[in-house]
Amino acid sequence: MDSEYAIETQDLTKIYRAPWTGREVRAIDSISLRVSRGTIFGLLGPNGAGKTTFVKTLLSAVRQTRGSALIFGRNASDPAARRPIGYLPENHRFPTYFTGAGMLDFYASLSSVPAAERKKLIPKHLEMVGLSQWGAMRIGKYSKGMLQRLGLAQALIHSPSILILDEPTDGVDPVGRREIREILTRFESQGVTIFINSHLLAEVEAFCREIAILHKGKVALTGKTQELTAGKGYRLTATRPSDALTSELGAKATSTVVRDGLVDFQFPSRDLVNSALDLLRAQHCEIESLVPTTSTLEEVFVRTVEAKVDK
Amino acid sequence: MVTLALIRDTFREALARKIFWVLFGLSTLMILFFLFLLKIDIVAGATATVSLFGRQTRGNPDIARVVRGVYGGIATFLYTFGMFLAVFASAGLVPSVLEPGRIELLLSKPISRTHLLLGRYAGNVLVISLNSIYLVLGVWIILGVKTGIWSPVFLIAIATTTFIFAVLLAVVVLVGVVLESAAAATMITVALMIISPILAQTSMMMRLLSSEWSRNVWRTLYYVFPKVYELGHMTLDAIQNDTFAGYTPIWTSAGFGIAVLGAALLVFQRRDF
Repeated sequence: MDSEYAIETQDLTKIYRAPWTGREVRAIDSISLRVSRGTIFGLLGPNGAGKTTFVKTLLSAVRQTRGSALIFGRNASDPAARRPIGYLPENHRFPTYFTGAGMLDFYASLSSVPAAERKKLIPKHLEMVGLSQWGAMRIGKYSKGMLQRLGLAQALIHSPSILILDEPTDGVDPVGRREIREILTRFESQGVTIFINSHLLAEVEAFCREIAILHKGKVALTGKTQELTAGKGYRLTATRPSDALTSELGAKATSTVVRDGLVDFQFPSRDLVNSALDLLRAQHCEIESLVPTTSTLEEVFVRTVEAKVDK
Repeated sequence: MVTLALIRDTFREALARKIFWVLFGLSTLMILFFLFLLKIDIVAGATATVSLFGRQTRGNPDIARVVRGVYGGIATFLYTFGMFLAVFASAGLVPSVLEPGRIELLLSKPISRTHLLLGRYAGNVLVISLNSIYLVLGVWIILGVKTGIWSPVFLIAIATTTFIFAVLLAVVVLVGVVLESAAAATMITVALMIISPILAQTSMMMRLLSSEWSRNVWRTLYYVFPKVYELGHMTLDAIQNDTFAGYTPIWTSAGFGIAVLGAALLVFQRRDF
């Protein structure tokens, strides 16, 4: 556990080959990513981007074709490297013959938590996820949200240093989501690294300090959430000016979209939007609207994915 | 601790399946049968009467022969119907672990894949061996108390039944890992059980087969495949006649089991989930 990174991948590639045709599919392609210790990291991407394959490679459930994956500096294929990992899979299928407490006991023993400690930890973790009344009940009777919370308790019971959570709030009601966020925030304050794979962009934006967007198996964008979503500015919509003025303003704008006789300019500052207004009015263009904007993670996500599609 | 957890998990899953209760229930029925329905009266160390369902047998049977006959019957039941039920019951225990959403979580734990699969294998063997112990020991004690004959050779049925089940379970595990299908695992393993008595007719087939090539093929198949039939026969001979045929069926079957289990581990190591 000497590495300064909780997760470090280098040129990580997984190629699936069809058995008969030999056709290759690159599920993940040369992914080099670093997740610092103690951060909350969000992995985003459209369906089929390779997020789950990436997570499974970290857990050694999928063997990489090329490259390396390290957990706290240890090769992910070494079982000992998985000791500090707490994992909650997407679409988990916990055996229904377990009771809630029995399931926690089983998974904690697989992480070599001693029996005496398990006895203390199980009620504590059931209580933490709001299931203390349900510990003796078979999990076949649990709702989806309860299973998700039990899964989270399972991921936390052996005091992991890194949590890898695949859609952690899937199927959980809004109150439950907030509770899960609170639990995770508590663990973050204790220095636990949290790696979240989620489709819920608003949740990732509110919760994750850093993000990476995967697209078609490659890292399309990575950075600090705050910096990526700092794109504040103004959207100016006007009737279309001359081509020369459109080009002139387009050079100053961060984006220009022409549609149905109108043109949308996105300007990063008030000065620029004011000078654009002057020029447009001088050409007798009519102003349709002027709106202050903030860049959301959703916009960053869509822009990134669409830019990759265009290329 | 981890091995114990894996074994306990296999036990839990087995107990959650009705088929294991059927197996246990049949063993209990047999024990109850000998406890209540087989009545043996012994006068001055010799059999006076033996009655079944309240009806007395004719003549004055040799009690030692009766007891050995019962032992043989139990051993035959274990080797045929019992083994089939055990394979049928166990066939789903490996594919269930490989289900998406379950295997990833198991693989995320700090245990090797070999440990994971062998833990499940050991748990499964233990479930079936406990059932054998329950049935054989139960009948042995009841008959011992009723007749005063304590023939320990019958207990060998526990070891041989467990051994041949362990060999057949290796096939179940390999098919389970490759095809993830309980039905295919059952079919292939039962097919091995069925061809065993056919392959055992080696001396007759050596006379019947015309070419050296076909005789070699037959011999190879005979030595490669597990000898369920011979092992059953050996157990019966040992129980009823105190004779022992030799070790070849044991070590060739063990070799088959180890090779197949090794192949299962290799496939499991290399698979993506």
